[in-house]
Amino acid sequence: MAENPETDDTIETTKQNQSEEEVEHSDEQKQEDELRSLLLSDIGDLPLSPPSATQVNFVSYFITDFTKPGHDQYIYRHANGLCVIGLAPTHIAFKDEGGITNIDFNVGKSDRSVLKVSGKRKKNAMRSESNTALCKVSTAKDSYIVRCCVKGSLLEVNERLIKQPQLLNSSADREGYIAIIMPTRPADWTKNKESLITLEEYKAKKEVSL
Amino acid sequence: MADETKPASGDSAGLSNGLVSHGDHKSRRVYQAARSLHSGAVKDLLSLGVCERCIFRLVSVEAFDSDLSSVSASTLRSWLESGDEEAASSEESSCCIVCLGVLQFVFSDAKQTLVRSECGSDYAARVTDLVKEEGHEFDSFGLEVYVPATILENERAVLLYLKGKYNSESWLQSEKISVKDALKVLVLDPLKVSLGAKSDSSSFQIRLTYSKASDEAQGASETTRERKKRKTGMSRLYDHHITWLTLLFDLVAIYISLYNEENGSTSMSENSFEKVYEPCILSIHCNKMPIFFSGRYFKYSRNVSQTRWIIDDERMGEASVEVVHLELIGGNILPACLGDSYKFHAAGREDIDVRMLGSGRPFLIEVQNSRKCPSQQSLTEIEEKINKSEKKLVGVKDLKFIGSQCWAMMREGEAEKQKQYAAIVWIARPVEEKDIDSISSLKELKILQKTPVRVLHRRSPLERERTIHWMKVEKIKGSSHYFLLHLCTQAGTYIKEFVHGDLGRTTPSMGSILGCRAEIIQLDVTDVKMGDS
Repeated sequence: MAENPETDDTIETTKQNQSEEEVEHSDEQKQEDELRSLLLSDIGDLPLSPPSATQVNFVSYFITDFTKPGHDQYIYRHANGLCVIGLAPTHIAFKDEGGITNIDFNVGKSDRSVLKVSGKRKKNAMRSESNTALCKVSTAKDSYIVRCCVKGSLLEVNERLIKQPQLLNSSADREGYIAIIMPTRPADWTKNKESLITLEEYKAKKEVSL
Repeated sequence: MADETKPASGDSAGLSNGLVSHGDHKSRRVYQAARSLHSGAVKDLLSLGVCERCIFRLVSVEAFDSDLSSVSASTLRSWLESGDEEAASSEESSCCIVCLGVLQFVFSDAKQTLVRSECGSDYAARVTDLVKEEGHEFDSFGLEVYVPATILENERAVLLYLKGKYNSESWLQSEKISVKDALKVLVLDPLKVSLGAKSDSSSFQIRLTYSKASDEAQGASETTRERKKRKTGMSRLYDHHITWLTLLFDLVAIYISLYNEENGSTSMSENSFEKVYEPCILSIHCNKMPIFFSGRYFKYSRNVSQTRWIIDDERMGEASVEVVHLELIGGNILPACLGDSYKFHAAGREDIDVRMLGSGRPFLIEVQNSRKCPSQQSLTEIEEKINKSEKKLVGVKDLKFIGSQCWAMMREGEAEKQKQYAAIVWIARPVEEKDIDSISSLKELKILQKTPVRVLHRRSPLERERTIHWMKVEKIKGSSHYFLLHLCTQAGTYIKEFVHGDLGRTTPSMGSILGCRAEIIQLDVTDVKMGDS
């Protein structure tokens, strides 16, 4: 039998490389498995229906019959102080046939949808009082003014509503939000808060009236 | 003038003033230079109370160099004098009116004891003792000297006086080396020998600060540099005035002294030097430039507390990233370096409720004024200690010493690179196969994110375009509404907002792609890609 030491050697080395690769693979596999087990380490307690991002990150407040009966709005306040304003589910606009068909931000002295707030210091933001008009929502029957409810700087209005007013009907508490306002001073918010009610109080109140 | 006979090499020979000149050729040079100085000026300055080395500085034409260091002040003095006065002994102990003892190697130490040294090497030995107390390990050093501003004023006054008397002399016209530089010239070589180190503009600086005794009472041991730093606004105007006023006074003084000379009297200028001169207080401070360590860290704790959202009486800023746990890393390295303090820099950061897993995030530890550099062995031990600690909050990998390329490395990790995440996502309806396929098929998905509400209070309201490079869905056993989402995104993408949509301000979002409400339960960073790694 002719021994060919070279080929033997090469076969040996390839085998070695292969097994090295296998070892590497299994190392990687091990790492991946470790990672996966870490990732899923807390899933023992996954609730069937977890709280929404809004519920976790915001505190909900409501104001009812604001300046006019039936004008109910929500104010979701984030931990950083920003307030998201929108229509509460019991707003009378929803009671009209066909729901809300149109929204117009051109109320009061300026069109709220064209403001351009820039920079960290929020330059050019419109200063609002709690009764400053924010927009006008219209249904087939009537139109209603929505107001700020919070004293502060108007950072943003939801201009998506102009093209898609039906968002107000389908998800007024999320994609159908109307505006984001930043209270300028902590003292302003504390005063504002006095006229607002919590989620529990809101539910109770509306249960009674229904 | 003394006999200029040069002694035979290596032998000592007597000279006319009775002094034995050393066989040393340096001392000979100094001796000859001393004898060649303008004797009238030398006599004047000696009687005013200027020290020997300052006289050399101000009157000599030749450069002031380190040869002077080995000659003691008393020897120098006797060479300067014309030989027929024994006033040497009486004036010896008085403080120089220009350099306040700095060039006489006289100073007050921290305990207010007067310390005298005869020559440069003696002075260097005392400085070395003080440097050793600081405990640094070094093999090269840079020397900095700070002297009180009054020395400059004293020098200006003396020069004025000299100009008044010897205006036309050539030796007066040359540039005079400052007291600060003169001291450096005198002591640098002896210090190198005494410390056993080289001298260069290195990372280790020894600072000799001379300050006036009266300044210390106010606690003002500021250096001139620090005083310069304070110049803003009105004080700058004030100093401008001072410069003009000083110039004015100088002109007046010159005029007066010229006038006096014409009238044959120089006594007034001499009297103006009647002041009490005290030696300065010397303090020594050693500073080493910061050293850097690099590595990758893991964060295992998910510091979620439900109560933080409910505090709404005051505007609560978004819980900023708490690197409290990461202090463990620096807190272990600092003692190993015997440093003063440290700074922690990370290539990006994650939220407080997000874990850092996988390959870890690159970081730098900057240690100020370290006394020694720990070995790789001790760094490995620190790494093990942190990784084996009971609480398992943080982990470290690849901890090592790194040089000046550290910042380039950090910048690499910041803006351009991709990040990989794993999120547990919930949707309002059961997950179907087609969902898995539709998500996995999205490559290089472009999304538009308005500044998330949770950071809108401190960031500009902008719309940012970002790319999701790829996504992978893994079903979770035992749950039809939850799945594990792996994704690789461009740096700067807000993952949570991509999943829940942020009130529709991030489009497209997981919810809009799947056509239902989506929420993110948990987020982990699994990879921070840096260059090739």
